[in-house]
Amino acid sequence: MILKLKKASISTLQTLKTIAPMLFGIIGLVGLFKTFITPEMLHSLFNGSAFHDILVGTATGGVSVGQPFISYIIGGEFLKEGVSPYGVTAFILSFVTLGVVQLPLEFSIFGARFTLIRNILSIIFAILISWITTYTLGFFQ
Amino acid sequence: MDYYLYAWIFSVKKIPKAQKSGYVILTVVSIAYIVLFFVNSHKTYLALMESFDILKMIAPIILIVFFIMAMLNSSIDSKAISKHLGEDSGIKGWMIALIGGILSHGPGYVWYPMLQELRNKGAKDGLVVAFIYARSIKLPWLPVMISYFGVYFTILLSIYVILGAFIQGIIINKLQNRF
Repeated sequence: MILKLKKASISTLQTLKTIAPMLFGIIGLVGLFKTFITPEMLHSLFNGSAFHDILVGTATGGVSVGQPFISYIIGGEFLKEGVSPYGVTAFILSFVTLGVVQLPLEFSIFGARFTLIRNILSIIFAILISWITTYTLGFFQ
Repeated sequence: MDYYLYAWIFSVKKIPKAQKSGYVILTVVSIAYIVLFFVNSHKTYLALMESFDILKMIAPIILIVFFIMAMLNSSIDSKAISKHLGEDSGIKGWMIALIGGILSHGPGYVWYPMLQELRNKGAKDGLVVAFIYARSIKLPWLPVMISYFGVYFTILLSIYVILGAFIQGIIINKLQNRF
């Protein structure tokens, strides 16, 4: 049992060693994105129409990085400044489900096919879920 | 020194492909930092500090994930994995994937190596995708979301995300069986 655990720990260390450079690279990239892409830059892309804002929300959420609550704060500001609720919902959803920055890492761990299909589905569902959430919310208000 | 550790440190095996592409990314990012430093040194410094903060934040999570992986490797065999997360896992498999996704902490990429390990041992792709999507429900942040967007919005979005994770998993499983 102990030998088995030792073997397993070594193979786990091997995995860590394999992904370490990629992990450091991605973390560095996240730092750059967080600092250089400002909410003002993102806000200027929205125009108030539901369909346009959903697409822009999905795209901007996908390239933004950070803790989830940051997307709530930015999304809340967007709402105040006239971005449609559809766009804001798409933004906070794709903020956590899509990560352009971490794509290379996902690609190298899971392989091309899995990564591609998963991300395409994530984009489609960010659009669908943001539309249906905002639509259903209309019945409660 | 322990034989295995010794073998690991001095292994002269071919560098894995994933590690090679990692070095490429690391080099590109390093060059980006150097170039941006000349463009805007203050902001680049802030970005670097931001990266260190992220590293500090995820370090304990990485330790937990790799501890789970080591346990998985040593005590749970492929048979058990395929029973609970494989072809015939049924509702139980979905519950494990969805609840596990909701409860898992930290950025998604930290969990990827463990998920790939599970795939190698026979877990269905659909369950892995459902896990990753269910991660967009962040329990600790729900109160913050409620304060910004209201209770109804938060409940509706969470329900649709769980449904979405489930449907995406089913689609992936169908695709997996087809090709």
